[in-house]
Amino acid sequence: MDPRVLWTVVLMLAPFAGAASCVFLGRSPAGRRAVVLATGALLIAAALALLGEAPFRLEIPPGLRAPLGVCLTAADAALLAAFLYYGAKYRHAGILLLTLLQAAGLVVFKGVLTRSAAASGGIVVDGLACLMVLVVSIVGALICFQALPYMDNHERHYGVSPSRQPRFFGVMLLFLGAMNGFVLFHDLSFLYAFFELTTLCSFLLIGHDRTHVAVRNALRALWMNSLGGVAFVLGMIEAFRSSGTLDLAGALAAPRLEGDATYFVALALLGIACLVKSAQFPFQGWLLGAMVAPTPVSALLHSSTMVKIGVYFLLRLAPGFPGSFLGQALALAGSFGFLAAAGLAVGQSNGKKVLAYSTISNLGLMFACIGVNTGSALLAATLLLAFHAVLKAMLFLSVGAIEQHIESRDIEDMRGLYTAMPLTALITLAGVVMMIFPPFGVLLGKWMAIEAVARHLPAVVMIALGSALTVLYWARWAGTLLSDPLGGRFHAERQPVLTWLALGSLGLGGAALSVAAPWIVERGLAPIWHPAYGTAYAVVAGGLESATGSFAVLPLSLAAACGLALSAFALHRAFRARRVPPYLSGLQTGEGASFRGPLQQAVRVAARNYYLDRIFGEDRLNPWVNLGGAILLTLILGGVL
Amino acid sequence: MSFGALHGLGGLAGGLLVGFLAAGLDRILTARLQSRIGPPLLQPVYDVVKLLGKEALIVNAWQAFCACTTLLTAALAWLLFVLQSDLLLVFFVQAVGAVFLVVGALASGSPYSHIGAHRELLQMLAYEPLLVLVFIGMYLETGSFRLEVLFAWPRPLLWRMPFLFLVLAFALGIKMRKSPFDLSACHHAHQELVRGVLTDYSGPLLALTEIAHAFEVALMLGFFTLFWPGWGVGRFLLPVAVWAFVIGVDNATARSNWRWMLGTAWGLGLGLAIVNLVWIGQG
Repeated sequence: MDPRVLWTVVLMLAPFAGAASCVFLGRSPAGRRAVVLATGALLIAAALALLGEAPFRLEIPPGLRAPLGVCLTAADAALLAAFLYYGAKYRHAGILLLTLLQAAGLVVFKGVLTRSAAASGGIVVDGLACLMVLVVSIVGALICFQALPYMDNHERHYGVSPSRQPRFFGVMLLFLGAMNGFVLFHDLSFLYAFFELTTLCSFLLIGHDRTHVAVRNALRALWMNSLGGVAFVLGMIEAFRSSGTLDLAGALAAPRLEGDATYFVALALLGIACLVKSAQFPFQGWLLGAMVAPTPVSALLHSSTMVKIGVYFLLRLAPGFPGSFLGQALALAGSFGFLAAAGLAVGQSNGKKVLAYSTISNLGLMFACIGVNTGSALLAATLLLAFHAVLKAMLFLSVGAIEQHIESRDIEDMRGLYTAMPLTALITLAGVVMMIFPPFGVLLGKWMAIEAVARHLPAVVMIALGSALTVLYWARWAGTLLSDPLGGRFHAERQPVLTWLALGSLGLGGAALSVAAPWIVERGLAPIWHPAYGTAYAVVAGGLESATGSFAVLPLSLAAACGLALSAFALHRAFRARRVPPYLSGLQTGEGASFRGPLQQAVRVAARNYYLDRIFGEDRLNPWVNLGGAILLTLILGGVL
Repeated sequence: MSFGALHGLGGLAGGLLVGFLAAGLDRILTARLQSRIGPPLLQPVYDVVKLLGKEALIVNAWQAFCACTTLLTAALAWLLFVLQSDLLLVFFVQAVGAVFLVVGALASGSPYSHIGAHRELLQMLAYEPLLVLVFIGMYLETGSFRLEVLFAWPRPLLWRMPFLFLVLAFALGIKMRKSPFDLSACHHAHQELVRGVLTDYSGPLLALTEIAHAFEVALMLGFFTLFWPGWGVGRFLLPVAVWAFVIGVDNATARSNWRWMLGTAWGLGLGLAIVNLVWIGQG
C-alpha cells in the first residue's frame, strides 16, 4: 500500500477506532490505558511519517465517492439529530432554533444546489495541513496521556462510580480524529461535518462532570458554536454559488465577476464561523465557561483542537482576501481581541481564567496577522499557532497538576508553590518565560507580528497596549510561584510518570523548537506562503532576517543558556547564604511573617497581588468589550454586503 | 581579540560609565538645587563597590537568581544597542530584566516589596506601549527597525517626530523612577514604601540591581541619540538636555499616584504618539 495513503488513513481512522475500543475495553483501567497509549503512539508516529511524505494530494477514488457521500449525509444528519436531542432534553430554544436553521440550510445545499455536483475536493497534505496534523496528533496525544492519571485522581476525589472514563477518553480521541479530518480534507461539505463533530465533542467534554454549572456551560458552548455552524452553512452555500465548486482551493481561485459580492459574503461568513470557534469577542463566553471541565479538556480545547480550527481555517482562506476591506476588518477585530482579552486577564486571580484569556488574546493576535495578510504576517500567525499550542498545553497541564495537589486554581493559593511542588513550579515558570521572553518562539512570532502590522496604525496601537498588559499578568504569576515561604533544598515531588512525560516533552520540545525556529521558519513554514506571497525572511548566522529587522535567535539562545547557568549558580549560592526574614518595619517575632506591634502584640503580615478589578474586572469591562466585539462583527459583515 | 568583541566590551564599559555618571551628576545637581554641596561625582560607584563587599543576606534565594538575571539582561540589551542590532529586539530583551526585578520582589513576603513590585509593573504598563510606538514611528520614517540604518539616517528624526520625542522623554522619567513617577522605588526612602521594589534586595544583590539600573538608564538615554544625524555634538546634546529636564522636573514635582500616571501615559502620551504616527504615515 502506498505509504501516503496508509498514514493519511491511520491519522483519520485510528482516533475513531481508539474511541470505539475505549467504549468496549475502557472499563478496566489497564484496557483504557492500553487503548489510549496505543492510539496516541500511533498518531504521533503517523504524523511524523506524514511529514516525511508531504506535500501530496490524494484524490478520492471514483468508486468510493458515492458511499462516502452517503456516509457524509448520514453523519450530518446524525450530528444535527444529536444537537436536537440535547436541545430538547435541556429545553434550550436557542440550540433547537440554530440546529433547525443549519438543517434547513443543509437541505437547500444538498437537495437543491449541489445535487449535480460531484464530491470534488480530495485530501491535500501541504505544509499547513502537516503543521496542524503535527500539532493535533502530538500535543493532543500528550494531553490524553496526562489525562490518564489525572482522571483517575479526579474520579477518586469526586467519588465517581461507576467510572465514566470510557466515555471521556472515547470523546477525547474522537476529538483528535475530527481535528485531523478537518485539517486533511479539502472539500467544504466534509469540512462542515468535522466542524460540527468538534462542536459535539467539546459539548460532551465540557459537560462531562454533569454538575449544574458544567451542564449550563456546555449548553452555552453548544449554542454559541451552533451559531458558528449556521455561519459555516451559509458561507458554504455562498461559496458554492460564487464558484460552483466545493473544493476549497478551487473556490478561492475561481474567476469572479466584477461587482459580485457573493464571494466576499462567503468569506465573511466563514470568517465569522472561525471567530466563534476561536472564541473571539463577543463569543468568548463559551471558552471561559469551558474551564469547569477537567483540566485536560481545557488543555485540549485551548491548545491543539477547537480554538485552532478558527485560526487554521482562516489561514486557509487568507489567500482569498489580500488587500480587501474584509482583511482590514479582521485585523481590527483581531487586535481588539488581543487588547481586550489581555486587559481582562489582568483582572483575574483564577489561574485557569488567566490562561483562558491569554488564549483568546493570542488568538486575537493571530487573527490580526491574518487580516493584515502579507507574507510576513501570515508567517507570524503560523509560527504563533504552533508555539502557542505547545506552551498552552504545557501550562494547562501544569495548572491541572497543581490544582490536584493544592486543591485550588487561584493564583493567590500558589504562594510558596516552589516549596510544595518544586518541579511543577519550575515547569510552570518555564512556560511563563517561554510565553513572553526572547529568544523563545512565541516572542519571535510577536516580533514578526509587530513588524508585519506596523503600517496598520489602529492594530499596532492596540497590540502595543496589549503586549504591556500581557507582561503584567504573566510577571505577577511568575513572582507568586516563587514567593515565600521558601523551603530548603530541592526535592522533586512525586507525580505519575505520564504527567512528567507530558510536561517534560512539551517543555523541552518548546525550548528545542525555539532554538530551531529560524530553520523551521525557513524550511517548514515559509514554503507554505512562498508561492503566493514571496519570501520575507532569511536565516543569517543563526538568526532570522527580514528587510526591516533581524532577530538573532541562536546567539540569543546561547546567551540565554549562559545567563541561566550564571543565575542558577547565584541561586545555588544563595541557598547556602544566611537567611533573614523579610523587612516588615518592626521587630520580627520569628514565627512566620509577623512583627511586634503595639502592646507587644504579634501583628501578622499578609500581602496580596494587585488585580486592579475596578479597572480590569469582568463586571467593569465585559459590557464594553462585548459591545466592541459586536460592532466589529457588524463591520466584517457590513463591509461585504 | 576581534574588533566585534572589543567593540562589545568597550560598549559595556561605556554604558556603565554613562549610567553611573548620570546618577552621580543627578545627586550633585539635586543637592545644589536644595542648597547642599552633594557627594563626589563617583559616589554611586563607591556605593556599589561597598555593597558588593557586604555579606549576602538572603530573604528568598530566588531573589539572587532574579537580581543576576536582571543585570545580565540589562547588560545584554545595552550590548545589542551598541552592536546596532534590531530596535524591537533591544526592547524585548530589556523587558526581561525589568520583569525579573519585579519577580524577585514578589518572591519576598514583605508588603513593602510587594507594593513596590506591583507599582513597578504599573510603571512598565505605562512606559512599554509608549516605547513601542516611538519605535514604530522610527520604522515608519526610515523603513527599518535596524539600528545600523537608524544610526546612519541622514536627516534629523527630531523634526519629523517631535511629539514622539516628548513621549520618549515621558517614558524616560517613568523608567528612571523620577518624580512624579517615583512610585515603585526612589533613590531615597519613602515613609510608606521604604525602598519599594528594592526593599528586600540587600548587599551584593542590591549592587547588582544598581548596576542593572545604570545600564537601563544608559539604554534609555541612548534611544535619544537616534533623533539626530551625524556623530557631532547634536547627537549627544539631545539625551543630555532631556536628562537635565527630567532631573529638573524631579526636583520641582511631588510623587503622583499610579492612576494619574497610567491615565496620563495612556491618555496624553498615547494621544501625542498617535497624532505623530498619523502625520508620519501621511508624509
